Amino acid sequence: MTSSNEFAPVLPARRWWLPRGPAIQRVFFGTWTAGVFAFLYIPILLLVFYSFNDSKLNLQWVGFTTKWYGLLLQNEVLIRAFQNSLIVACVTTVLSVVIGTSAAWLLYRYRFPAQQTLGLLIFIPMVMPEVLMGVSLLVLFVNLGLPLGYTTLIIAHTTFCFPFVLVGVQARLQGIDPALEEAALDLGATPLKAFWLVIVPYLMPAIIAGALMAFTLSFDEYIVTVFTSGADSQTLPLKVYGMVRVGLNPQLNALSTLFIGATALLVIASQVFSRNKST
Amino acid sequence: MKKHTTLLSAAIAGAMLLAGCGKKDDTLNLFVWTEYVPQAVLDKFTEETGIKVAMETYSSNEEMTQKLFAGGGNYDLIQPSEYTVEALIKDNYLQPLDHAKIPNLKNLAPEFREMPFDPGNKYSVPWLSGFVGITYNAETIPGPVVGYSDVFTANNAGRIVTLDDSRELVSWAMTASGLPINDVTDENLEKIKPLLQDWMSKIKVFDSDSPKTSLSNGDVDIGVIWSGEGAILFNQNPKFQWVLPAEGFHMFIDSLAIPKTAKNKEMAEEFINFILRPDIGKMILDEFPYYSPNAEARKLLSDAERNNPASYPPGLDITKALLFKDVGAQGSKVDELITSLKVQ
Amino acid sequence: MAVTAAAATLAPGPSHQRRAGWGPWLFLTPMLGWLLLFVVVPTLMLVVISFCERDSLGRVIFTFSTENYVRAFDWMWLKILGISVWYAFLTTVICLLLGYPVAYFIGRSSERVRGLLIMLVMIPFWTSFLVRTYAWISILSQEGLLNAALTSMRIVSEPIGFLYTPFAVVLGLVYNFLPFMILPIYTSVEKLDNSLIEAAYDLGARPARVFGQIVLPLTQPGIAAGILLVFVPAIAMFAITTLMGGGTNPTIGEVIQNQFTKARNQPFGAALGVLLLVIFIFSLWLSTKFRRAEEQ
Repeated sequence: MTSSNEFAPVLPARRWWLPRGPAIQRVFFGTWTAGVFAFLYIPILLLVFYSFNDSKLNLQWVGFTTKWYGLLLQNEVLIRAFQNSLIVACVTTVLSVVIGTSAAWLLYRYRFPAQQTLGLLIFIPMVMPEVLMGVSLLVLFVNLGLPLGYTTLIIAHTTFCFPFVLVGVQARLQGIDPALEEAALDLGATPLKAFWLVIVPYLMPAIIAGALMAFTLSFDEYIVTVFTSGADSQTLPLKVYGMVRVGLNPQLNALSTLFIGATALLVIASQVFSRNKST
Repeated sequence: MKKHTTLLSAAIAGAMLLAGCGKKDDTLNLFVWTEYVPQAVLDKFTEETGIKVAMETYSSNEEMTQKLFAGGGNYDLIQPSEYTVEALIKDNYLQPLDHAKIPNLKNLAPEFREMPFDPGNKYSVPWLSGFVGITYNAETIPGPVVGYSDVFTANNAGRIVTLDDSRELVSWAMTASGLPINDVTDENLEKIKPLLQDWMSKIKVFDSDSPKTSLSNGDVDIGVIWSGEGAILFNQNPKFQWVLPAEGFHMFIDSLAIPKTAKNKEMAEEFINFILRPDIGKMILDEFPYYSPNAEARKLLSDAERNNPASYPPGLDITKALLFKDVGAQGSKVDELITSLKVQ
Repeated sequence: MAVTAAAATLAPGPSHQRRAGWGPWLFLTPMLGWLLLFVVVPTLMLVVISFCERDSLGRVIFTFSTENYVRAFDWMWLKILGISVWYAFLTTVICLLLGYPVAYFIGRSSERVRGLLIMLVMIPFWTSFLVRTYAWISILSQEGLLNAALTSMRIVSEPIGFLYTPFAVVLGLVYNFLPFMILPIYTSVEKLDNSLIEAAYDLGARPARVFGQIVLPLTQPGIAAGILLVFVPAIAMFAITTLMGGGTNPTIGEVIQNQFTKARNQPFGAALGVLLLVIFIFSLWLSTKFRRAEEQ
C-alpha cells in the first residue's frame, strides 16, 4: 500500500471516474482514447448536423429544418425496413451468443475427437466472402424448400456472426483459473450448473463484447441479406443501398440520429441508475 | 438447459413465421431495380384495385437472374434491361403478354413498339429508358465537349469519373474506334485494348451507383454516366452540362416482363396497364428523370423537366441510339479485360 | 522476475481438458448440426461449383472442369489477392496501434465508466455503413470539411485529393474495423489482476517495464483475437474499398462479387473463394502447428 516508490499507483478514493494507474499513464491513455473517440464520432456528428440541413444533398448548410424527421415518421417503408433489421439483429445476437459461448466452453473444457478440424470449420464463415456465403445459402435454402424470409435471414446472419462471439469468448477463457470451476464442482454442482453459475459470469465481458459485435454485423449486413431475404423481410441496408442511386436522403440521417440518440440515452440512463452496484 | 429452451422457442417462432408466410397468392410480387418504382405508384395501385403489392429489389441484372434461376422467390413481374430481355426470351423464360388485357399499350411512343430485342412488345413493356453520355462542369472544363476524345484528354487526367461497368467501358472504346458495340470478339477486344489502357489511366473514379457524388463534390470535373444522374446534376446546378457523344451513344431500356414461374399473370398485366396511364407515367417521371417511353406521359411534363438536356437531349435522333445485345459468355472476357487494365 | 513467474502460473497447460462424457456431447450436437448444415454443406457446394462450367446466361453446367483453377493462377488475380492482403495487414496494424490504448484505458476504468465507454465505442456503428462511408466522403472530398478546414487555416493553399486514394481506403477500413480490435482486447485487459501490477510497482519497476513484461503478455489472447477478427474479414471486404477507393484498385472481394454479377461466371467466383479459404485454413493450421512446437 504505502511505498516510497514514486511510480506506485495512487488510487483516489473519491475520483471514481479515473482508471487505475500512475497519473502520467492516465493522462496519456486518456488523451489517446479521447482522440480515437473523436475519430469515431466525427462522421456521426456530421450525420446529425445534416439531418437538420434544409437541403437534399449533404453538402452545404442551407438552413435549419426538422422536416426530414417529419417525413421520416411518415415513411412507412423505411421504418418497416428499420424494424426488420432490428428484429433480425436481435434474434441473431441471441442465437450467436448462445451458440458461440457454449461452443467456446465445450471446446475448451472437453477433448473431442477431431477438435482441430472443428476449430477450423468455425472460421470458414468469417473468411468466406459474403457473396459466396449468400449464394451458397440461397441454393441450400431453395433445395431444402425453405421460403425466403425472416427464418432464412436469421440463419444466414447467425452463421457468420457466431464465430465472432466464439473467438472473443475463447480469448477470455485462456488463462482462466481452473480453481473456479473446481470449487463449484466440489460444492456439489453439476458441470452444467457450474458452467451457468460460475463460468458465465466470468465470461460476461466477453459475452457482452461478442453480443455487441454480432448485433453490429447483423444490423448492417447487405450482401448476404440480398440473397437470403424475402419480400417481407427487406432490411435497412437493402433500402439504403438502393437510395444511393437517387442520392442519400436526409431522412436516413434523421433515422440514424434518432437511433443513436435513443441508444446513447438508454446506455447513459442505465449507468446512472445502477449507482447501487458496488464499484 | 437454457440453450435448449432458447433454441426450441426460436424454432417455434420460425415455424410460425413460415406458416404465416404461406398465403401470398393475392399479392403481386414485384422484383425490380432499387429506387426505380415509386412507392406512391404502388400505393395508388393498391388503392384503386385492392391488389396488395410486395416489392423486392436488386441492383444489377445479373443479381436478378441469379435469384430468379435459383428459384428463390415466385415473382410475378421483373424489370430486366434490354439485353437481359433478349437472353430471357431466347431461353423461353418469359410469358407472352395478352395485349387485350393491356389496352394502354397505345400510349407507348412509336419508337418503343418495334424494338429489336422484342418486336411488337410480345413479352415486355418498356418502363423507362435512358442514355449513357457525357456530363461536365462547364465552369472548370473549357468547351467544346463533343465526344469521347474530348473527355479522355491529358488535361482531364485524374479528373474523370465513369461508370464501373466493363461492358459500358468496352462499348465506348469500340464506338470511338468505329467498331460495332455488340461485336465483342477476342479480336476486337485486342484492337481496343491500347485505347482503353490510355483512357483508364486517366480515370479517377469508377462508380455505377452514384457517379454524381464525385462530380458534385468537386473531386472530378467530367464523366461518362447515366442520363438520370446527369439530369439530377443539372437540376442541382446548371453548370453541369450534358452532351451525347458524337461518335455514337447507347441507350438502355428497362422493361417489365412476366417470368415463366409467375403465379399471378393477370394481376401483373393489370399492373402494366396501370403504369402505362399518362398520370401514373408522370408520377414515375417526377421521381426519376429518365427518358419516358410513354408518349402521353411526356405531354404532361413541365417545361423545366422537358428542357433538362440529360433527360430529353435536344435534337435527339433516337434511331442513332445503339442498343446492347446479349453477348453471353464473352461477358466474362470483357470483365477480365477491364480488371486487368485496372490492376496495372 | 518473480512477478513474471507468478504470472506464468496463471496460464494452465492443456491439462485443463477432460474427456467428453455424454453430457457435453449432447450440448455439442446442436452446434455440430448447425455447422454441418449451414457451413459445411454450402462450402462443399461451392467446391463442386468451382469445378463446373457455365452457360451463356450464367447458369451452372455440371460438367467437370479444372479450367477455373488454371485461370485463377494467373498473375492478375494473384496480384489482386496480394493487394487485398496488404490492405488488410495495414488495417490490422493501424487498428492495433490505435485501439490497444483505448482498450487499456476502458478496461482499467471503474466498473461504471467501463460499461458506458464500451457501449459508446459501438454506437457509431449502428448506422448503416453506407451512410457512414458517405459521411467520410463528404469530409474528405475536395470541397469537403477537411479541405475547407485546412485551406481556411492556411495550412495548404489548394485542396488536397484525399479521396479515391489508398489512404482513403485504409482510413475507411480502419474506421470500420476499429471496434473489432478494441472489444476483444478490452475483455483481456478487464480481467487483469490489479494486485500483480501493484506488486510490480512495489518492487520498483518503471511503468514501461510493467507494461511490456506483465500487461502485454497477459493481454496477448485479446490481441490475438483482435488481430483475427480484423485481418480475416478485411481481406474479403469490398464495398468500402470500392467507395473510398473509387474502384480503381479492385480487391479480391470485389472481383469475386463481379463474377456473380457482371461477369456471369459463378464457377470462377467459387474457385477464387475456395482458394481464399484454402490459403486461410492452411495458414491457420501452420500457426497452430507452430504454437504447438513452441509450447513443447
